[in-house]
Amino acid sequence: MRTHDRLIDLRPGWRAAAMGAALVGAFVAPAWALAGPYHDGPDKMVQMVAAATGSPANSLVEIAKHKFSLPTVTVPVGGTVTWRNHDEDVHTVVSTTQVFRSPGLDTDEAYSYTFTKPGVYQYFCTLHPLMTGTVIVK
Amino acid sequence: MRDDLNHSHDMDRQEGHRGDGVDRRGFLECMAWAGTGLVWVAAGGILSSRALGQAAAADAAPATSFSFVQISDTHIGFKGEANKDALGTFEQALARIKALEPAPAFIIHTGDLTHAQKAGAFDTVTEALKGTRAERVFYVPGENDVFADGGKEYLGRFGGPAGTGWQSFDYKGVHFIGLVNVLNFKAGGLGSLGPAQLDWLKKDVAGLSSSTPIVVFAHVPLWAVYPKWGWVTDDGEQALSSLKRFGSVTVLNGHIHQILQKVEGNIRFHTALSTAFPQPAPGVGEGPGPLKVPAEELRKVLGLREVTYVPGKGSLAVVDSTLA
Repeated sequence: MRTHDRLIDLRPGWRAAAMGAALVGAFVAPAWALAGPYHDGPDKMVQMVAAATGSPANSLVEIAKHKFSLPTVTVPVGGTVTWRNHDEDVHTVVSTTQVFRSPGLDTDEAYSYTFTKPGVYQYFCTLHPLMTGTVIVK
Repeated sequence: MRDDLNHSHDMDRQEGHRGDGVDRRGFLECMAWAGTGLVWVAAGGILSSRALGQAAAADAAPATSFSFVQISDTHIGFKGEANKDALGTFEQALARIKALEPAPAFIIHTGDLTHAQKAGAFDTVTEALKGTRAERVFYVPGENDVFADGGKEYLGRFGGPAGTGWQSFDYKGVHFIGLVNVLNFKAGGLGSLGPAQLDWLKKDVAGLSSSTPIVVFAHVPLWAVYPKWGWVTDDGEQALSSLKRFGSVTVLNGHIHQILQKVEGNIRFHTALSTAFPQPAPGVGEGPGPLKVPAEELRKVLGLREVTYVPGKGSLAVVDSTLA
C-alpha cells in the first residue's frame, strides 16, 4: 500500500518536474537562439527572463527632429535604455521623479540608464519640455 | 484725462497726453510755418529760430532721444552644421554695434547667450560685449543658459540682488522690464513666468502713469507664435494684462531665431534674429531647431536690432539689420 502510495505521490511531482523542465527548456531555448555569447551571471538570467516576457533587455531610443523615436519602451528589471541624439540641437533625458538625469547630449552623443526597480518612469527633455517619453520596467 | 482711458486706437494716439505741449492744433500751426523752414520758439523768454526738426526735439524736456541694441540667441559653443563659426558671426554683430553712431545707450541680450551652457561660454559673451561702447548690458536667460543646473550658474552671474533674474529699470523716462520664462520647465509643458514673477510685475508697474513707455524683454515669445513647437509663454497673457493700460508697450523676444511681429492694441511684439543660426518658420517642417541654409545665405538671416526712443512718438522705432 505505502509503496503504491509513494508511487502515486511521485507521479504528480514527477509530472510537475517534467513540466518545469519543459518550461525551462522553453525559456532557455529562445535565449540560446537570440543571445550572443552565452555566459554566466546576471546577464544570462536577464536574457532568459526577457525572452520569456517578450521584451528585450536593452532598448535604444533615437532622438531626432525633436522627438523620441519610441514614446514608450518596456524593459525588464536590470535592463538598460540608451538614448542617442541625432539632432544638431542639444537634448536631455530627465526623469520627472529625478531618478535619472542625462547631461546635455550633443549630436551623436548617447546616455544609458540601467533600471533596477520596476515601475513607470516618465521623462522629458529639459530644453524642449514638449518632448516626453515613458519607460516601463517590469 | 485721456491717459486713463483704454482705447484701442491706431498708432497716433499720443495727441492728448504728451509732455512737450504740442497737440494736433499746435502741430498744424507749426506746419503753417513749414514753408519758411523755420519755427520761432520762445524758451525762457528768449526768441530763437530753429529748423522744424530741431524744434520738436528741443521742446521735449526732460526726456531725450536715445537708442539701445537688442542682440539675441548668440549660442556661444554651438558647432553644428547650421553654423560652424557661431563665435565669428557673433563678433560680426559686435562690430556692427561698435560702428553705430551715436553709440547705443545699452545692450539687451534676450537669452540663449550660450549653447547648452558650454564651458567658458558665459565668459566669452560677457567679455565680448564689454568691448562695445555701451554703458551697460542687460540679460535675460534662454533655456540653453539654465537647463543643466536649474539656472544656478546663470542666476549666480546675472540673477541680480534678489537672485531671480527678473528686473526692471528706468532710462530717460522709459520703463524697462526683463522677464524670465525658461525656468521650472515641466514635462510636456511650456515656458512660463510663474505666480511670484507675475505678482512682482503687477507691483512693479502699479505706480507708473499710463503714458510711461514700457519695454518688456524676455526670451520665449510672450504671445502664442506657435504653441506646438513651444513658441509661447504659458501665462504670458497674465503678464500682458498688467500692461494693457499703457499707451506704448514694446515687447522684445528671442528664442525663435527669426523676426515676427504683431500688434495688439498698444502692445507691439517683435521677435529677433539670432547671431548664430536661423530656425524654420512656424509649422514649416517637422519641428524647431537649427536650420542649415546655403553658406552664402547664412549672414543674411542673422542679425541684430536697434531700437530708438524719440519722446513724443507713441511707439519706439525698431530697426532690424542683418549681417549681410
